[in-house]
Amino acid sequence: MNLAETAKDILKNHKAEFIIGYSKGRDGRTKPFIAKDEKGAEKLVFDHFSVNNLAVYLTRMEKPKGGKIGIVAKGCDVRAVNALIQENQIKRDEVFIIGVNCSGVVNDIDGEWNKENTQIKCKYCQLRTPNIYDILVGELEDFELPEDGQQLLMTKIENMNAEERFEFWQNEFDKCIKCYACRQVCPLCYCEQCIVEKSMPQWIETSASARGNFAWNLIRAFHLAGRCIGCHECERACPMDLPITLLTRKMGMLAGKEFGYRHGMDPSQETLIGSYNIKDNEDFIR
Amino acid sequence: MRIGVFTCHCGENIGKTVDCPAVSKAVADIPGVVHSEDYKYMCSDPGQNLIKQAIKEKNLDAVVVGSCSPHMHEKTFRKACSSVGINPYMVEIANLREHCSWIHDDIPSATQKALDLLRFAIERVKFNEALTPIKVPVTKRALVIGGGISGIQASLDIANSGFEVILVEKEPSIGGHMSQLSETFPTLDCSQCILTPRMVEVYQHPKIKLMSYSEVENVEGFIGNFIVKIRKKARYVKDELCTGCGLCFQKCPIKKVALSEFDEGLTTRPAMYVPFPQAVPNIPVIDKSVCTYFKNGKCQMCKKVCGRDAIDFEQQDTFIEENIGAIIIATGYKLYTIDKKPEGSIYEGYGEYGYGKYRDVINGLQFERIASASGPTSGEILRPSDKTVPKKIVFIQCVGSRDESKGFSYCSKICCMYTAKHAMLYKHKVHGGEAYVFYMDIRAGGKMYEEFVRRAIEEDGVKYIRGRVSRIYEENGKLIVKGEDTIAGLKVEIDADMVVLATAMIAQQEAPKLAQMLGVPYDKHGFLQEVHPKLRPVETSSGGIFLAGACHSPRDIPESVAMASAAAAKALVLFGSDVLEREPVVARVNESTCAGCFYCKKVCAYNAIEVKEIKDRQGNVLKVVAYVNSGLCQGCGTCNATCPSKSVELIGFKDDQIYAQIHAFAEV
Amino acid sequence: MEVKFEPKIVAFVCNWCTYTGADLAGTSRLKQQPNARLIRVPCTGRIDPVFIIKAFENGADGVLVSGCHPGDCHYNAGNFHARRRWIFFKSLLDFVGIDSSRLFFSWVSASEGKKWVDVINNVIDTVREKGPFNAYKKFNRENYKSDAELVSASKEDSKINSE
Repeated sequence: MNLAETAKDILKNHKAEFIIGYSKGRDGRTKPFIAKDEKGAEKLVFDHFSVNNLAVYLTRMEKPKGGKIGIVAKGCDVRAVNALIQENQIKRDEVFIIGVNCSGVVNDIDGEWNKENTQIKCKYCQLRTPNIYDILVGELEDFELPEDGQQLLMTKIENMNAEERFEFWQNEFDKCIKCYACRQVCPLCYCEQCIVEKSMPQWIETSASARGNFAWNLIRAFHLAGRCIGCHECERACPMDLPITLLTRKMGMLAGKEFGYRHGMDPSQETLIGSYNIKDNEDFIR
Repeated sequence: MRIGVFTCHCGENIGKTVDCPAVSKAVADIPGVVHSEDYKYMCSDPGQNLIKQAIKEKNLDAVVVGSCSPHMHEKTFRKACSSVGINPYMVEIANLREHCSWIHDDIPSATQKALDLLRFAIERVKFNEALTPIKVPVTKRALVIGGGISGIQASLDIANSGFEVILVEKEPSIGGHMSQLSETFPTLDCSQCILTPRMVEVYQHPKIKLMSYSEVENVEGFIGNFIVKIRKKARYVKDELCTGCGLCFQKCPIKKVALSEFDEGLTTRPAMYVPFPQAVPNIPVIDKSVCTYFKNGKCQMCKKVCGRDAIDFEQQDTFIEENIGAIIIATGYKLYTIDKKPEGSIYEGYGEYGYGKYRDVINGLQFERIASASGPTSGEILRPSDKTVPKKIVFIQCVGSRDESKGFSYCSKICCMYTAKHAMLYKHKVHGGEAYVFYMDIRAGGKMYEEFVRRAIEEDGVKYIRGRVSRIYEENGKLIVKGEDTIAGLKVEIDADMVVLATAMIAQQEAPKLAQMLGVPYDKHGFLQEVHPKLRPVETSSGGIFLAGACHSPRDIPESVAMASAAAAKALVLFGSDVLEREPVVARVNESTCAGCFYCKKVCAYNAIEVKEIKDRQGNVLKVVAYVNSGLCQGCGTCNATCPSKSVELIGFKDDQIYAQIHAFAEV
Repeated sequence: MEVKFEPKIVAFVCNWCTYTGADLAGTSRLKQQPNARLIRVPCTGRIDPVFIIKAFENGADGVLVSGCHPGDCHYNAGNFHARRRWIFFKSLLDFVGIDSSRLFFSWVSASEGKKWVDVINNVIDTVREKGPFNAYKKFNRENYKSDAELVSASKEDSKINSE
């Protein structure tokens, strides 16, 4: 069965009350869409432009009483759903996951689907077939893996000395306008009152000042350490093209290398933050 | 808020290095401060009265005192302020002594630092909240860990006051090292004669539950409300049936394999044994590692001869959980083994003395066993190697003690006294024997101690040589001891028949593990640490846990007994009230901002965070949030730091209080 | 006369171990350099990395965080959670240019007065070598009021209120 048929069946049999998915808008762009009935179900699509991480809607939505939320999810989105289950934001039996086999998504949704426009995360993706789902649709296709320019940039930064690095980031964060799009689009930024919204005391300035920008991006990356599932939506959403996934990727690599941990791979796994090992590295502590 | 600032000179302690009047004047200009004065001794009665008066006259809401460490007088000032109506948690202390005047010499920079520290405290107190102490019930039962003289004394004191005690001892019998001694200084009382009546009193006391051959497995909870899990190790004998007749261990055929722990390895004991004849309880134990039945299923001689069918080879370790209000640690000491470099140790050992190599080089406890009437030689001083009477014995003091390079830096306190005692016992038993003592100093500071040592020298003719020994080696059946006499300026060589080493008193090997289980700090030697060395020597920083005896530091029997009674007194203070007031520094959740991720629950070491459902009137769950059980919360604040949205806050160390201090740094 | 640069250090210390260890250093009259200001917290578990950022923002040239040795935490596991947090935070700060020449961590127990003195003197000396943290001070641009200026601005207001 294809996606639309599957969706119709799900709604007809009340396996879910509504389905969050993608459809082609009037301007031809693929966008998030909620299918509430058969007519809506027919509009559901999944293609290389289905780049949005729909799991973010699960955190902002009122849960229907006595019914499930259906969600069309590719591998990285399923990771987000698993992470939300690990963090008690949603229960496994409250979602009906329509897993889709994904063959890469674009970076710029107004561009063409080709190697240069493929997201870097797709190069390393191990979840082209999602690991958890209630039903699976779609076929896997081969695609040309993109270059990882970000890795080169990361190496370049690591080879700078401390002052140069600070200079680099200061220049980048100067561009930040504090629109908080990165936060709004992230499925794991679900705090009811974000730390930047706390005014008593005000740890992070809300205005777009150099100091506040530095603190905001740093603290956000830190709050996602061990929790970021690497969907890169934050960087895609940033109107100022800040390379913020460099920070989250660095934290994710640390979690993987030091602790062998990837958030969101298994909803029943103990989280990295919140647990400890008596043998944790402490050679930086005197 | 109306803040009063009081700067203490602490006599010269602060006043000499910090310009207190200037500091007091400078802080008066800070917004919020309506009263500022300085005085010589704020903690004294007139000093406290100054504070009380200012509170009343100037209608103060909060008080900041610049003085010694809060660990010293925070309670004093809090009490003073609460007596005139200020909530004790509206009092902040700036540490101008331990953290300022005592560690700096330069007056301008120390004064500036004092001003900064006061400013921090002033800015912080603006965000303090009035708090009421939390009341928790107290379980009026004590746990004493260790059944040596200290543990026995503490148990008896508490039990005689009418409260129940659980005494846990890891060996098959109580008594500890004191039961191994022959005679005690300075009275030369027979050690077991004065100890065994106490041991029996413990055993028969209706309020003492003796758990011998048991160990503490786990401790949870907090002061007044501990839950302790104790492992009762399997003796393979049913306690309730055994009469102590002794047939089983008399008939046990495995007699020569296991070394006797009680006799410090000088003799062997059977596989089935009681450690010593006066053991309490007088119930034997099977050493599984050498028993024939456990090795190949044969023998069972003990079972055959037991008239009460008390032998049970199937017995398992059992676990018992008890509710306890106060814990006294009395785990004692052990002697430093210096035959070779101990496994994993950073200490070198004294291989040059030949301990472990030559059978006639022994340590103090081994000499005690030889001199003891119930010991392997029935009290005759005999060489372990050939059982002949030694004509010359050399005693060497400070083996391992007072030696930073190869041993421990501290003095083991008891060695000078027991070496004199050993020399005297030898001279009393072997007339015409020669006793030599190599010493660095003589430390005989107790009552009648100095007189005791002089008696050894003047009446019993023990020869004291001031100097160290460099080497001991065997030649023609004699032990050649090479040392020096620094007073005469000569090298000394003695052909001894036996050498007794006064080795260092060190902490038990498991002491750090036990300390970690109980949350008690310990130093690098493994000795457990008190809260304050001068005025609070038996309390630890973990409320409700007290120290008694040599587990704290080297000490002799009268000091151990005194410390044990002191610890018992502290426990009884706890039991004196039905309800304990706990510090209200606990966490609190802001339910409107909590997103229910429960990272706080994951990091809470006390399981104090619970899941709470917020429902509407129809019973529909609107929201799931975290909730703090303030009875369990101990106030560490890890939840506060882990929460990304800071929905859970540690009252007393809230974000805005700490922020105020960091913010005040901008003007440093 | 040239004014020599003296670094300003903030030290976040846990109450039961390091604060008490520093007290012991004081009681033993072990001399230290006067550049550090201690902020007491109940446990290193309470220390949020955002405190460290705020300390740098408020003019600290170096920050020290110190607590109980692993296994000795008064609250059982606070320092274990803190340690894991620091592994991530330190890596993040290193990546961003605030490296270990400015941010220090140590375990100092209540009996280690001498070690405390070594640690704090070492921190002060290292940061003095490194110089003032100008990169962070540059954040406070001319048309942007620093925290200190904001404080003195509010001083004027509250003087009226406290009467």
